Amino acid sequence: MRRVGGMVWLAWLIAGPTAWAAAFSVAYGLHGLGCELGWPALSLGPVSLQRVAIALPSLAAILLCLVLLARVSTALGPEAGIPRLGLWIGLVATLYTMAPVLVATSC
Amino acid sequence: MSPPDMTAIPANPPRRALPLHRELDRVWRNGPGLWGQVTSVSHTTLGLRFMATAFVFFGIGGLLSMLIRAQLATPNSAFLDTALYNQIFTMHGSIMMFLFAIPMLEGLAMYLLPKMLGTRDLAFPRLSALGYWCYLLGGSILITALLAGVAPADGWFMYTPLSGKTYSPGINADVWLLGVTFVEISALAAAIELMVSILRLRAPGMTLTQMPLFAWYILGTAAMMLAGFPPLILGSVLLEMERAFGWPFFDPERGGDPLLWQHLFWLFGHPEVYIIFLPAAGVLSTVIPVLCRTKIVGYGAIVAAILGMVFLSFGLWVHHMFTVGIPHLALAFFSAASMLVAVPTAVQIFAWIGTMWRGRPELKLPMLYILGFFFTFVMGGLTGVMLAVVPFNWQAHDTAFVTAHLHYVLIGGFVFPMLAGVAWWMPLMSGRRRIKGLGEAAFWLILIGFHGTFFLMHLTGLMGMPRRIPTYADNPEWMGLNLSSSFFGFVMTIGFALFAIDLILQAGFGKRSVRDPWQAPSLDWAMALPPPNYNFASLPGVELQQAGAAGAMLKLARGEGFLPGAPRGRREILVTSVGAARPQHVALLPFNTALPLVLALAICAFVLLMLAGFYAVAPVALIPVVGLIWAWARRAVAAVDAAPVEIAPGQFLPVHPEGGATLTQSGLTGLLFANGTFLASLLFGLAFISLVSPGPPRPVWHADGTVLLAAAAVVALLAAGALGARWALARVEAARPAGAVLIGAVIVNLLALAGLAALAFWLPAPTRHAGDAVRAALVAYVGLHIAIATLFSAFALDQARRGELTPASPGALRNWGLWQRYTLAAAALAMAALWAQEAGA
Repeated sequence: MRRVGGMVWLAWLIAGPTAWAAAFSVAYGLHGLGCELGWPALSLGPVSLQRVAIALPSLAAILLCLVLLARVSTALGPEAGIPRLGLWIGLVATLYTMAPVLVATSC
Repeated sequence: MSPPDMTAIPANPPRRALPLHRELDRVWRNGPGLWGQVTSVSHTTLGLRFMATAFVFFGIGGLLSMLIRAQLATPNSAFLDTALYNQIFTMHGSIMMFLFAIPMLEGLAMYLLPKMLGTRDLAFPRLSALGYWCYLLGGSILITALLAGVAPADGWFMYTPLSGKTYSPGINADVWLLGVTFVEISALAAAIELMVSILRLRAPGMTLTQMPLFAWYILGTAAMMLAGFPPLILGSVLLEMERAFGWPFFDPERGGDPLLWQHLFWLFGHPEVYIIFLPAAGVLSTVIPVLCRTKIVGYGAIVAAILGMVFLSFGLWVHHMFTVGIPHLALAFFSAASMLVAVPTAVQIFAWIGTMWRGRPELKLPMLYILGFFFTFVMGGLTGVMLAVVPFNWQAHDTAFVTAHLHYVLIGGFVFPMLAGVAWWMPLMSGRRRIKGLGEAAFWLILIGFHGTFFLMHLTGLMGMPRRIPTYADNPEWMGLNLSSSFFGFVMTIGFALFAIDLILQAGFGKRSVRDPWQAPSLDWAMALPPPNYNFASLPGVELQQAGAAGAMLKLARGEGFLPGAPRGRREILVTSVGAARPQHVALLPFNTALPLVLALAICAFVLLMLAGFYAVAPVALIPVVGLIWAWARRAVAAVDAAPVEIAPGQFLPVHPEGGATLTQSGLTGLLFANGTFLASLLFGLAFISLVSPGPPRPVWHADGTVLLAAAAVVALLAAGALGARWALARVEAARPAGAVLIGAVIVNLLALAGLAALAFWLPAPTRHAGDAVRAALVAYVGLHIAIATLFSAFALDQARRGELTPASPGALRNWGLWQRYTLAAAALAMAALWAQEAGA
């Protein structure tokens, strides 16, 4: 907080869980949309369009968390500790809650 | 004027404490007598009053639970008829949730936070008072309905279609929808001011990572309330619109869907569990280290755990709907999130156990309740994990097992910690010591009574007993367990009664307590007992924050901190930066006033007119509401050109921020966040009705060019309004007149309102189909925002006319600009959604 402003530090703190929340919401929304529009029946290579559509926001969130994890120490210095934990929360939550997209039946 | 470096500020010289106290007391104290209590805006008075009122409602809810247990003690009891039984269990849940748990946590947080953060009051004292009166009046409506026999009777989550007009034709359901929404004004008000106070009013130098954990917990709670309550308020508004005007949001025959209500309710309902738990956990993280004579283990891990809970708890709501027929993949998402949320909870549990392991726990009364918490809450958490597993959930759904689980979580996770907290802070609140023995007896009665009641209900649930049934004549095998539960329920009630008696005796007859009786390090004990309304004669800097309560008490009382006394006869507090808590400016807080009560009464008149079915007259009641809010804002314009204030020798701060945000701007940002969640929930409703609802499709309606033109015109006019707000601010900051721009802005907003009215006129009737109803709701939402933007711009124009807009203090211009930009964004989104809905059709 001495190195960056308080709001910037807070933004880093919530970045990971926010990425998870965004991915979770978008995936749930796309799931409903895909079921309505018949995406499970459309194939994109070995998987359905439905799975790809739902997996993409999760992948984006995972990538974002990884990128931010790589940069958090540089950006926040000695105040990076708790925001780093927040990014791990975002990463693990996304991996764990979105894992079913690989196996469960969709609609 | 740059923000001062905290380490370089010299301390104020010591002064005599008594004259300083008298000077502050003259400015901050409540007025005399009952009127003084009514007009008080002090966080100490209102925090105590919130808690006392919550305990009264807790008593009423507890009495209702005894009636339920009396009814269920035998299989075919004629003690209550079914209709009354339905009202009683509905009111028991509603009272405990909305009139006890939430106000109790609000009251505790209001009372403690300014003391812990080293300041004199919350950011918006009048808002605290308004919240209290809305809570009291809304709660009174619900209790009056119960006494009159017209209380809600559809269960505390008011599922449609049971709560719709067809199956609940009386005003019972309206009482819940309008009464609870009225009460929730207090929750939103509390959330905004607690959040702003934590971020902007901490003592100088108290960085975010050094503030007490209790403040982190309340910060998380406040954020959750801002995100969690809007879906409930939206759901209540929509259901009331359906009941009052026939807009069929939840009516399957006209394209609506009862599941939309469940989504909206549980979007609030599940986070609500954590909204209740987090403050209780804050109490535990505060009390445990002191009673173990050590420091908390894992401060950073606990903050991260709070963060995890705040977010993850919003990904669980569907686990209340596992049996409604949801696709496997969605079930799996929410099941996974439901299990995952146990991890941050466990992190905290282990941190508390680690703290106790490292220290030397003292088995005093608060510690007994803490041990009761561990024993109870861990069991509730484990049954929660069981219910997160879908196949088990299908078996146990709507049985007494769920009732047992939720009571283990809520009483274990909230009531036990709160009782620990009350026992802990009673010397602070009352200035007196308790009478030994009574509290311990109450604890054991509550603990034994609780487990005797609810552990057995797991078993009755597993034997198949549904929740909420009044009789079970065909299942006599449930009687033994039910009779035992009822017996222990009365034991628990005797325990709670004893706890209340203990509090009354302590407050009335206890011996005077010494200061800081627990030898706690935190600032809440660095003051006289009971505390004066201003808390601190001077505000603590870093050195005094680290000195502990004992080390800081005398120095603060002698004015050695910042901003000593009240020499200017004003209620002054320090506003600091969000991160490092550098002093930014001095804020002037309002004096005692009856305005919050009068405003709450005006809102109450609107609610009562709606309840009575006078829908045509009800909007008229909003005129005094608007007038009073205008008067409220006028009174806030107090010191336009006040001179800088010396907070320490040679260190001056302005009364208005120079470049940074005012407290009001911060508060408005919080409000807009909640408002955005409301809009997002409404858009979710639109998508749900359009895509998921299995009802008949919306009849085709071809939007012609006129409608599109009107929609585009509204957005364009609002964009002009937003530009006008920016232009007016730029002119005022350059010390140039802005009257003409402001007149233009008012006209532009009025034109936008007219355009929207024309659009609404052309749209199909909202009673035709749920899709039309949601669309009309969106238009009404935008219309309300444009109307407020119009009033905002008119208010700024009035300020310009009075010469109150200056470069240092541009009045309402910044807040109006913020509102105008939000309205523009909301209107653009709404119009895009309408277009998408039409294109989809």
